[in-house]
Amino acid sequence: PAMAARLLLRATRPLLAGAGRGTGLGTAFSTAPPPEKKRWLRAYQELQRLQAPPQRRSEKPNWDYHAEIQAFSHRVQENFALDLLKTAFVNPCYIESEEARRRQLGLDKDAVALQLQDNTGLAERGLRFARAYLAQCFEGAYPELPAKGIEALVNFLTSRELVSYVAQNLSIQDLALCRDFPAPPDVLQRTFLAVIGALLESSGPERTGIFVRDFFIPQLIGKDLFEIWEVVNPMGLLLEELTKRNISAPEPRITRQLGVSTVLPVYFVGLYCDRKMLAEGPGETLLAAEEEAARVALRKLYGYTENRRPWDYSKPKQGLAAEKAISSN
Amino acid sequence: RYVRQLQRLQLLFSPTAADARGARQFVEEAAQDFARQHPDVVLYVSPHSGPGPAPVLRAEYLNGTVRDELIASKTSEEIVQLATKLANQSGLDIIRIRKPFHTDNPSIQGQWHPLTNKPSILTVQGPRLQPQ
Repeated sequence: PAMAARLLLRATRPLLAGAGRGTGLGTAFSTAPPPEKKRWLRAYQELQRLQAPPQRRSEKPNWDYHAEIQAFSHRVQENFALDLLKTAFVNPCYIESEEARRRQLGLDKDAVALQLQDNTGLAERGLRFARAYLAQCFEGAYPELPAKGIEALVNFLTSRELVSYVAQNLSIQDLALCRDFPAPPDVLQRTFLAVIGALLESSGPERTGIFVRDFFIPQLIGKDLFEIWEVVNPMGLLLEELTKRNISAPEPRITRQLGVSTVLPVYFVGLYCDRKMLAEGPGETLLAAEEEAARVALRKLYGYTENRRPWDYSKPKQGLAAEKAISSN
Repeated sequence: RYVRQLQRLQLLFSPTAADARGARQFVEEAAQDFARQHPDVVLYVSPHSGPGPAPVLRAEYLNGTVRDELIASKTSEEIVQLATKLANQSGLDIIRIRKPFHTDNPSIQGQWHPLTNKPSILTVQGPRLQPQ
C-alpha cells in the first residue's frame, strides 16, 4: 500500500504540474469566465495603424474629387472654369507615372496615352502674371524703392517655401495629382501657380489680381525689408541714394554709448547731413552701429519703416492696374 | 479674404442602431440645407450596416486636424448646431489660452530702453541766449 501510494503520488504530480493552460486549468478553476482568445488583437491593430505609411487623402475612404474641387472654388470665393481647374491640378510626374503603370499592366498603345494635359503652361502664365502684378503693386506703394529691392521682394513672395506653405494651408496637397506622397514643395508651388493661371483664364486679370493680393501680400506682415533683401554694403547704397537726391554725404557721430569697457557695449551712432540728423542706429561695436544707422536711414528713405500705413485692401475702382500688368508681359 | 477652415464633414452612422436616430433624421431633413448653406464644406454621409461603432461626426480642417464628435442620442437640431459650431472653428488645438489679449504693436512711440530720455553726448550746453 505504501508503494502504491508513492506511485499514485508520482503519477499525480506530473499531471498537475504539466497541466498548464487548457483543460487542466479549466477543470481546476471552473467558476471563473473563460479567458478571451484574442486579447492582443486591439493592441496589434493599434500598432498596425500607427506604423502604417501615410497615405494620400484620395486613397482613404470618403473622397469625391469633383465635390472637393467645387468646394475648393467656393472656399476661395472665386468662380473657376472647372475643366481648367482640373488641368491645373495635373502634374507632369503624375502623367508619366500613370502611363508607366498602364504600360506595365500591358494595355495597347492607344489606351496608354492619357488624354490629360499637364499644368506647366498654366503655371508659367500664372507665375508671369503674379510677378508682374506684385512688382506693379510695390512700385505703386513704395515709389522710392529701387528695382533691386522690388525684385528681391517679388522673389521672396514667389519663392518655393512661401508658395508651398500657402498651398498647404489651402488643401492643395490633397487635390494635386502627383507621383510622390507627400507632395514635394516645388510640385505644390507649380500647382498653386497653375491655379492662378486657371483663374486668369477664367475670370480675367482684375479678379486674379485681387486674388494674388489677398493671398501673397499678408505674408509680408511683420517682416523687415532687410530680412528679405540682402544688402552687403548699406553705407554705399545710402551714399548713392543721397547723391541722387543732392544731399551731402552723411557724417557719422556717436550719440550715446553705454558700457564701453564691458563685454557688451552699446553704441548709438547718428548720421548727420548738414548738421541735421538723418537716422540713428544701435550696435555692439562702432562699425556695427554705423551699418545699422545706414540701414535705418535707407528704411526711412524708401518708406518701409515699421510705422508706415498698412496695405490698402479696399476694392480697386478701375481695372487699369491689372491690364497694365497683362500688357507688360 | 475669409477662407473657411473646415474642409469636410464625414457622418458615420448605422441605419439600424437606436442611438443613431438623430443622425438619420439629420440626414433626411437638415443635411441638404446645411450643405447648401455651406458650399465650401464637403459633406460625406456613409452609413455602415450592422452593429458597428457609435455614430460619429468627423471634421477635417485645412491644417490637418481631425476632430471626432459623438452624435449618439442627439436630436437633429442639436446635430445642426454642432455642425455649424465645427464649421465656424479653425483647426487649431483646443487648449487653454494663456492670455486673452495679444497685440502686434506692443508699443506706439517705441519701447523704453535706458537711453530713451537721456540727452545725447553731442548736445552742446552753452550760455542761455539773452533777449536783445
